[in-house]
Amino acid sequence: MKNSIRQIWAVARVAARSNLAYLGEVASRTFFLAVILFIFLKLWQATYRESASAVIGGLSLNQMLWYLTVTEAIYMSAPRLAQQIDEDVRSGALAVRLLKPISYPLYCLSSALGERIVRFLANFATGAAVTFCLVGPFNCSPAAPIMLLVAVLLAFVLDGLGHLIIGLWAFWLEDTSGLLLIYTRLSMILGGMLIPMELFPDWLKSFVFFLPFPYLVWGPAHLFVHSDWLQFAQLVGLQSLYILLLLAVVNLIYGWALERISAHGG
Amino acid sequence: MEIESALMKPLKNAVETDNLRKVFEIKQGLLRRNAKSVVAVEGISLTVPAGQSVAFIGPNGAGKSTTIKMLTGILKPSSGTASVLGLDPWKQRSKLVRQIGAVFGQRSQLWLHLPPSDSFDLLAEIYGIPKNDYRKRKALLVERFDLGRFLSTPVRKLSLGERMRAEIAASLLHRPQLLLLDEPTIGVDVIARQNLRDLVCEWNREEGVTVFLTSHDTGDIESVADRVIVINHGRVVLDDSLSSVSENTLIEGKTAELEEIIAHLFNSAASLPMQNCISPG
Repeated sequence: MKNSIRQIWAVARVAARSNLAYLGEVASRTFFLAVILFIFLKLWQATYRESASAVIGGLSLNQMLWYLTVTEAIYMSAPRLAQQIDEDVRSGALAVRLLKPISYPLYCLSSALGERIVRFLANFATGAAVTFCLVGPFNCSPAAPIMLLVAVLLAFVLDGLGHLIIGLWAFWLEDTSGLLLIYTRLSMILGGMLIPMELFPDWLKSFVFFLPFPYLVWGPAHLFVHSDWLQFAQLVGLQSLYILLLLAVVNLIYGWALERISAHGG
Repeated sequence: MEIESALMKPLKNAVETDNLRKVFEIKQGLLRRNAKSVVAVEGISLTVPAGQSVAFIGPNGAGKSTTIKMLTGILKPSSGTASVLGLDPWKQRSKLVRQIGAVFGQRSQLWLHLPPSDSFDLLAEIYGIPKNDYRKRKALLVERFDLGRFLSTPVRKLSLGERMRAEIAASLLHRPQLLLLDEPTIGVDVIARQNLRDLVCEWNREEGVTVFLTSHDTGDIESVADRVIVINHGRVVLDDSLSSVSENTLIEGKTAELEEIIAHLFNSAASLPMQNCISPG
């Protein structure tokens, strides 16, 4: 266990440093984020004006924009984990990875975490600067950044496991881009990236809360604008529960995948 | 503990296989998934003494990589047994991979955007090498592989020869007992290629690491290997010391270069008779 944690930390650290080499990509992504946030501002300004209301779904315009800053920073930091597994399986690079004394899923997950933390921090810093210019500062509670950090980290682990489950199907399908598209769109819509969950119809809300998607995006962003220790504890509990569940699924699929390589060739 | 005790005990044979066989099931058809069996490896029996340097060669599709994947525990044999460094590769894969170093000419284990030094540090963590040991080992490898000049340069900016030197050094960090080299000199220029061969020989001689080389370059084989094993259609068609093959093999009554002998074996797929004599026709 201690060894695994040390390995996760070492791989994540190297992946984070390696990701800093893609400064051009980081810059282009943050430019895109600034444009998106500007469009969101205009859309929500019109919505608030038309509804003649200062608060929608429990959020003021200022809170709504800060909520969207967090959701966009999370969503746009998604790593290329499933695509990497596709490539490893198709190119045969998997055989090289399997010769290292670290579990392949653990290696992929750690690398994705390191990469994602760098991307998220860059996205959030740019997003916060743009949103500050558009709607002014956000008076968050002193605990909000800590809650955000913990919730975002757990969300990244959870989302990483989701990507792993999709990616591992490459052992059967060779190309998982179709599955990935469904997964990313579900986490975009049901995760509350575009519209906060508070605005979902009741029937959908009660259904979606049983899925892991809200805890990837909506949960951390909601905590940032509505910091509350009880809700924080609930979110962390649910995220941890889903992490354990998805870990078991990853283990199961990975075991099948190894059996499949053995039976049908790499 | 088990690994430590295995390390303490001098190992007689690095690789032992007995009638190793691998059959893949290939499913065909869209609706009716008929399974077809394809024999990739047909009863390979080998004994490689510890410290030996072996060239394991064969044409594409001969069963080389299937055999190597069985020896490293990635594939489970359909029948037969294998013992690598005294371990069962399939049942004890996680222990085995700690004692194997691997270099694949066409796949890098170094992080492209980071200097080799960072990849070395990461490998030290992955293999759990104690800090002091790692520091000494890294210094030794940097000196012997002459990595000092580019240790802090991102890998993407290195020449292929420099990168391969760093790759081999990286694979030796954890003091493996078995070094797998798959086309380690592919695309590398003549001087850098010779330099890589010399380094592998030096490490084989001085550290006693067993070398398992696959290459289509006869220069690699002649420089590095003590023994040549040729496989084709999943069977061993030649297994002899390099000197014996070079000196005693006749093709159509004449002595032949290693390259000619190998080409002949790849074409004919026939086993060489005991006296290593290839007859016309």
